[in-house]
Amino acid sequence: MLQIKSLTKSFDGFKAVNNANLDVQKGEIVAVIGPNGAGKTTLFNLITGVLRPDSGEVLFKGDNITGLAPHEICRKRISRSFQVVNVFNRLSIFENTQISILSRERKTWNLFTPSSKLAVDETNELLRNVGLYERRDRISGALSHGDRKVLEIAMALGGNPEFLILDEPTAGMSPEETSRCIDLIQSLREKFGLTILFCEHDMEIVFGIASRIMVMVRGASIVQGTCEEVRCNEAVQDAYLGGSDVCLM
Amino acid sequence: MATGILSGKGRIWWIAALVVLCLVPLVLPRFYVYMLSIILLFGLLATSNDFPLGFGGIYQLHHAVFYGVGAYATAIVITKSGLSPWLAFLIGPIISAALGLVMGLICIRLSKLYFGMLQISLGSLVWAVVFRWYSFTGGDDGIHGIVVPDIISSYQGAYYFTLVVTGLSLYVMYRILKSPYGSVLQGIRDNPVRSAMIGVDVKRHQLLALIIAGFFAGIAGVLFVVVDNTVFPDMLFWTLSMETTIMCLLGGWLTFLGPMLGAAVLILVRTFVSTYTVYWGLALGIISGLVIFFMPNGVLGWLQDLFKHKTNLAEAKE
Amino acid sequence: MDATGILNQAFVGLSRTVILFIVSSGMSLILGVLRIPNIAHGSLYMIGAFMAFTISRIFGGGELGFWMALIGAPLVVAIISLFAERSIFQYLYEREHLMLLLLTFAFSLIIGDLVKIIWGGDYKSVPVPQTFQGFVPLIGGLPFPIYNLFLLVCGPIIAILLWLLVNKTKIGKIARAAAVDREMVSAVGINVGWVFASVFVIGCLLAGLGGALVAPTVSVTLGMDHTLIMEAFLIVIMGGLGNIWGALLGALIFGLAQSMGILIWPQFGIIFPYAAVIIVLLFRPAGLLKATW
Repeated sequence: MLQIKSLTKSFDGFKAVNNANLDVQKGEIVAVIGPNGAGKTTLFNLITGVLRPDSGEVLFKGDNITGLAPHEICRKRISRSFQVVNVFNRLSIFENTQISILSRERKTWNLFTPSSKLAVDETNELLRNVGLYERRDRISGALSHGDRKVLEIAMALGGNPEFLILDEPTAGMSPEETSRCIDLIQSLREKFGLTILFCEHDMEIVFGIASRIMVMVRGASIVQGTCEEVRCNEAVQDAYLGGSDVCLM
Repeated sequence: MATGILSGKGRIWWIAALVVLCLVPLVLPRFYVYMLSIILLFGLLATSNDFPLGFGGIYQLHHAVFYGVGAYATAIVITKSGLSPWLAFLIGPIISAALGLVMGLICIRLSKLYFGMLQISLGSLVWAVVFRWYSFTGGDDGIHGIVVPDIISSYQGAYYFTLVVTGLSLYVMYRILKSPYGSVLQGIRDNPVRSAMIGVDVKRHQLLALIIAGFFAGIAGVLFVVVDNTVFPDMLFWTLSMETTIMCLLGGWLTFLGPMLGAAVLILVRTFVSTYTVYWGLALGIISGLVIFFMPNGVLGWLQDLFKHKTNLAEAKE
Repeated sequence: MDATGILNQAFVGLSRTVILFIVSSGMSLILGVLRIPNIAHGSLYMIGAFMAFTISRIFGGGELGFWMALIGAPLVVAIISLFAERSIFQYLYEREHLMLLLLTFAFSLIIGDLVKIIWGGDYKSVPVPQTFQGFVPLIGGLPFPIYNLFLLVCGPIIAILLWLLVNKTKIGKIARAAAVDREMVSAVGINVGWVFASVFVIGCLLAGLGGALVAPTVSVTLGMDHTLIMEAFLIVIMGGLGNIWGALLGALIFGLAQSMGILIWPQFGIIFPYAAVIIVLLFRPAGLLKATW
């Protein structure tokens, strides 16, 4: 479904992403892992149009989406959540999610109907699906960190995506929040038939839900394979553990 | 987010205020009626400035250009063409909206301070043209003695006209802010990256905000022509833009009625201080400085924060 | 008009450029290093001019008066700005630009009226000192004011001094580093506060110097702050924030566009500099030369 070929991006001579490759099949959950600074977020930014690559291609369902603007990529039904919570802080949970849905429904040029009357049912349903319905009138700037991360995901879902990119969805969450989030992701995937690409630092999660893993080190993709293949791969061990002779985990 | 100010109990206050405003010309002398007209139209101007600024996050630093161009367009149509003044009143805002579109297209590629500076440059260019084009715009002198229809030529007539037009304009802007477009615009203000990521074409939506702002600024310009029967180049000078923006900040730039309140405060301060001393600039500077320093969200914003704080405390106790 | 006339007009424009450069470089330092868009910068220029008038009068209005004014007026402005920085501006470095813009506009209103209170509302004039009075036949025999020649000499000298200050002195290097990353510089143990105060004072001193230098050539009036500040602001943005050579380049373009514009199209010549700024910003939105942020 998603193909990344030889993607490269430099900043002032520093190669943040160096000839990265990635394949994601429909319906899979693929994880991108790597040490800090390996370029995972940059890779996501390149896919979603926040940055333009210096060279390489991104193909989605056969179409070349390299270099498209973020709002155009969203229209292709690729949605994304951010590592650092990126919501509309002054608005409530309901309003945040509603905007996402209104955007998908192309109602953003409507100047006269009060927002309070539009897309109410769809917004409420989405909020129920992610478990934020009871708190829907709270201002998002004042929520707990875990709730804000879930709101991130809710907003990404508002676009009715086929492909969901999650940048460290459980970062900063407590253990209960984390397991709830993981359950949520898996149930959403089943319910909506999503293909998911995510990155995480928590290896338990990665090996728990990912069907395949891509490992990035210093901007390059050094290996792509199943959990087993990655766990015992020498290059990965070198990168993470400095060459000791154990299988990861 | 602009709170629901037209709801339930609030309605009584609105009707009361409206009644009071309608009775004003029957009770107060001419000077006060004139001043109130000025407050209303500057309140409209400030609100139209706050539309892109406070609700769209756009550095609209030279808003007065649209006000001045709308006024001049109206004045020139009335004095130089044979068309009906009522038509001139329509042409003014349309031209200022068009200017908003043109300037917007040029400036929108930049963001924040650079956007503001480019707008100031373009606006200064327009000002310079108006200032120098003596044969067309009256140059430094401006245009005086502009004739408006009899119904609205008296000071009471001008006042009622201003009241009705301002009220309608504010209502329309309010509805727009409550619409999906308004929500998206505020989303763009709070987080343009997020907005793009949920499928919003940020630049296009901002461009529409600039057109709307230009349109209503033009209406304010028309109102000034009706109330004062003159236009002059200072209406397009950058200092007026700064004053308009200060009005927004004084009252509360994140609230809908803040700019109107700010306009009232600024004009009242200027008028009353002027009767005692020539140094109203000093007074204005001190008051604005203090408000900006200690109440960056303006008076209404401060009240709102106070109210929210109490609500949060109450919620936390539950 | 022939070539000599054009060249002469260009030189007149260059003299104005010097003043624009001096004031703009001060503003560029403050905006580039301290990130404060200071609308009151024009007011300091005006104070410089009025102070020059007063100091010159105190010393008899002649030769001595001029030189004392040239030294004294910028010093007075520097002292005022030091006081302002320590009491107000040092708390503002992290604020939003919009707030700072309006706050400094409020200051300019206050200063404007204070000047009116102290000096009154009429024109003031500062006499040109004896050494610089008169004209020299410069280009093709056309008379050129000697004082303007003096300005044309001052300009490059000040430019070089500033460049040395920013690039070759310790304080300049710290200032440039702090402009990019204030926390990092404090973490290394340097007292950023004093560096910032110095930058602020130097920037304001330049405004005062510009005012003192321009005083003998124009009528010193209220409102001179408003015309100049927008020009300086546009020059700074055009040249690149915090870049001294950018300010020089910007001032050159602006000043020449002004004088050549009036020559080519007397009625609308004044739009030329604004058109120049617009064209530059369309092609180089961040300014002609490298900005500090």
